[in-house]
Amino acid sequence: MAASTMTQEAAPVAHHFNNMLQQQSTVRLGMWLFLVTEVLFFGGAFCAYTGYRIWFPKEFEAGSAALNCGIASVNTFLLLTSSLTCTLAIRAAYKNNQFGIKLWLLATIVLGTVFLGLKGREYHLDYEEGLIPTSRTIVVQEKQDDGTYLPKERSQFAENVTKVLKQEGYKTEGVYMPRVQLFFVFYYVMTGLHVIHMIIGIGLLSWQLTLAQMGFFKHPERYVYIEVMSLYWHFVDMVWMFLLPLLYFAGPHTLEQAIGQFQMAIGLASGHHE
Amino acid sequence: MTKVPELHYTPQMVPMPELPPEQEANRLHYLNHSYGIFSWLLTVDHKRIGLLYLVSASVFFLFGGLAVALVRLNLITPTGAILELDQYNKAFTAHGTIMLFLFLIPVIPGVLGNFLVPMMIGAKDMAFPKLNLLSWYVWMAGAMFFVWQLTVGGLDTGWTLYPPYSSKYSHTNVLYAGLGIFITGFSSILTAVNIIATIHKMRCPGMTWSRLPLFIWAMYATSLIQLLGTPVIAVTIILLATEKIFGVGIFDPALEGDPILFQHMFWFYSHPAVYIMILPGMGVINETITCFSRKNIFGYKAVAWSSVGIAVVGFLVWGHHMFLAGQGYYLGLLFSILTMLVAVPSAIKVFNWSATLFKGSISFEAPMMYTMGFLVLFTIGGVTGLYLGVLGSDIHLHDTYFVIAHFHFTMVGGMLMAWLAGLHFWWPKMTGKMYSDFWSRLAAVVAIVGFIMTFIPQFILGYNGMPRRYPNYAPEFQFLNILSTAGASIQGIGYLMPLFYLPASLFLGRKAGGNPWMATGLEWQVPSPPPMHNFDTTPVVYYGPYEYSMPNGLEQLEKAGMIFSDEEPNIAHAGLSTPEVIRGS
Amino acid sequence: MSEVRETIHESDDHHVASFGSTMTTFAVLALLAVIQLAVGFNDFGPMKILASLTITGIQVFVLSVFFMDLRQADKLTWLCAGASVFWVLIMFTFTLTDFVTRHMAAY
Repeated sequence: MAASTMTQEAAPVAHHFNNMLQQQSTVRLGMWLFLVTEVLFFGGAFCAYTGYRIWFPKEFEAGSAALNCGIASVNTFLLLTSSLTCTLAIRAAYKNNQFGIKLWLLATIVLGTVFLGLKGREYHLDYEEGLIPTSRTIVVQEKQDDGTYLPKERSQFAENVTKVLKQEGYKTEGVYMPRVQLFFVFYYVMTGLHVIHMIIGIGLLSWQLTLAQMGFFKHPERYVYIEVMSLYWHFVDMVWMFLLPLLYFAGPHTLEQAIGQFQMAIGLASGHHE
Repeated sequence: MTKVPELHYTPQMVPMPELPPEQEANRLHYLNHSYGIFSWLLTVDHKRIGLLYLVSASVFFLFGGLAVALVRLNLITPTGAILELDQYNKAFTAHGTIMLFLFLIPVIPGVLGNFLVPMMIGAKDMAFPKLNLLSWYVWMAGAMFFVWQLTVGGLDTGWTLYPPYSSKYSHTNVLYAGLGIFITGFSSILTAVNIIATIHKMRCPGMTWSRLPLFIWAMYATSLIQLLGTPVIAVTIILLATEKIFGVGIFDPALEGDPILFQHMFWFYSHPAVYIMILPGMGVINETITCFSRKNIFGYKAVAWSSVGIAVVGFLVWGHHMFLAGQGYYLGLLFSILTMLVAVPSAIKVFNWSATLFKGSISFEAPMMYTMGFLVLFTIGGVTGLYLGVLGSDIHLHDTYFVIAHFHFTMVGGMLMAWLAGLHFWWPKMTGKMYSDFWSRLAAVVAIVGFIMTFIPQFILGYNGMPRRYPNYAPEFQFLNILSTAGASIQGIGYLMPLFYLPASLFLGRKAGGNPWMATGLEWQVPSPPPMHNFDTTPVVYYGPYEYSMPNGLEQLEKAGMIFSDEEPNIAHAGLSTPEVIRGS
Repeated sequence: MSEVRETIHESDDHHVASFGSTMTTFAVLALLAVIQLAVGFNDFGPMKILASLTITGIQVFVLSVFFMDLRQADKLTWLCAGASVFWVLIMFTFTLTDFVTRHMAAY
């Protein structure tokens, strides 16, 4: 079965299991069952999003155009690589390679943390641009046809997003701005739930790293615990694979735009984004 | 493998022998092998965790009962007898939420599921014992937080939490109450994962899927629903909380949202949730009806697969709660047709149970009285659901007392009766003590009579137009309301009685022995209370779960060498039916 | 009747994927991510969302079959994966049918 050395003693089997194979098989099934619940969880949010996107395609396009695609693109590759490192950790545990386990787990944690750092930066930039959904309204002096100005109450958010879209060069005719807030609510909820799952994942990975440090994985049969951790982490990656096209590419972006946005995000460029 | 000769009857395993009284007094079992509060609060033994759930679920049932006492007392007069308008809203919301989330959903999976699932399949514990304990703690945290929120300000939205009232206009603790429910949902999910993994991976040798007790099939189907449905209510509560906290319009039509989307997402879980509530009850009925008619279940495969059928089709009918809400007309048609379909597996079960009774040798101990109550009352509840599932009649009946009567017949007349049947059936196994036969039967009669008196008037009120959730009503409805409240009081007495004679049995009851009902099933082949690890040796199963009807069982076992003739076996405790008891097989 | 069935259906030699297979899978996923970005940064009209979701579908398939080891998993695991997708589709189909048909006249 697992490649254990001749001098290795077998890992103790839990008291309610008959043998290690049953224990491993059960642990794997337990994680798959949990992932079923996670699919339904995110599925519910995606279902709500899709309903509104069918009703308000223009507004959702506009909202997406205001997002930072540079950070999202970089994050995609970070998360994908972390999926790789997590899988390599399983192999290290299976081969009883203690250094490999710690290396690949740490790599996964680091990549995940960088993802979260960039995501945090993205949220911060959104905040600076005033793209936080709110019920606040402001009074705007609207120019009438006859040249006079009349005070009109407008959604604060609608004003902010109109400004951002104008900077992006996005044409906002025919877009009912208050509805764009609906897109942003889903953007924050869906990416926020994803972030929470990543934080939990990084916490669990750190715990496994600590266990590895304590010699828990000296028994190669225990590779199954790293395997179930990686199942969770791959699921988190899968959610991102859906978030990227649905949220970020609903609206038009160009590669130059994205590069510029990313440079600005990490401070290599200053001022407004192109 | 020993070659097993062709036998007409055998229990699923040779029962563990009873010890002589002196040794029995010193026998270590799951209740006495360790003492102290922490041996209970930090236990990973599935049996002790089942008892933890029993105590807490019973307490929450009392809270829910208090809330409905307020509601029914208020409805004695047409203008409200004891409560203000907003207090009334809080009272019926408290009743609904507590009874659903803190009692009906967790009680059988938490108590009987935890206690029995490993034992019935011949395992030593659940697949994930520590997760099992965590599940209880998560449930207690969410439940206690929720009850606390109900007491410090309450919740007045109805258990359905519909926005925009719940998100924008209500001044009650919607957010924190929602958080409490959200937390208890995790417990549901963890228990479901545990049960499914246990049933798949930890069956003893010979325990094939078609030899499983039907209670296990029912628990499996319940866990499937919990797994697939609960996450959706979780994300719905998150969206509602977002709307409330940030004042944005996810479901608020004034802010570009769609209130019907909330209803879709809410009912995607909440309709299957009613099947989470009833399926474990149906599982219990399988066990009691076979034991107390001394007969094999009629149509094992049909009953087993109908549980799965209810679980699957139950996810396809949620829109029947929204016929008048404004969902699309064609979708409403589709949901109506599917609702007709979902009644079929339940009906299959009732037919099979009736056929099981036919020519059985029926006795009316307390578990069987509750079972008979279930059969009649659940059937009435089920068929009245059909009136609600048909679009035309639902226009008239929606949001009236007809709906309330329908779901109380299924939930109380069905599920609660089944829970009491199960509690009374397995109490001797869990505690090793027998309760008073007289008081238990009396309590069953009082509860059932009280129930009928409470809820039949509500059907009449409903189709005469009395709306639900209203604190006031037209004066011509007063008589039926008073009748209903009187019935509720009688019902309440019936439910309170077990609170006396069941604990009394712990001190005054006679010792129950391993198999007081002479039932089949692995859990009855070990002494009561069961040993710490359930079985001394791993059982090996050769036959089905309900092999009741067989003459000369003892002789046959002797011939097969499964019991030894040089000592006189104690028939009453060996779990075998004597020829005098078996009739008409 | 006297046979004893085991509850475990995974084979004893449940092996872990080779280094080469892992790297190949990663390369495929990275390529798909690049294609996804390429589709995202260009305008394809109404085909764009279809193309994006198709690519996502392929990514999800590769990730689950290779990285999440569905390749050598038993039927029960495939059932878990399939059931979760199926149930999400139930939710999507009925709810979105409402969104699409709600304002249609009944007759």
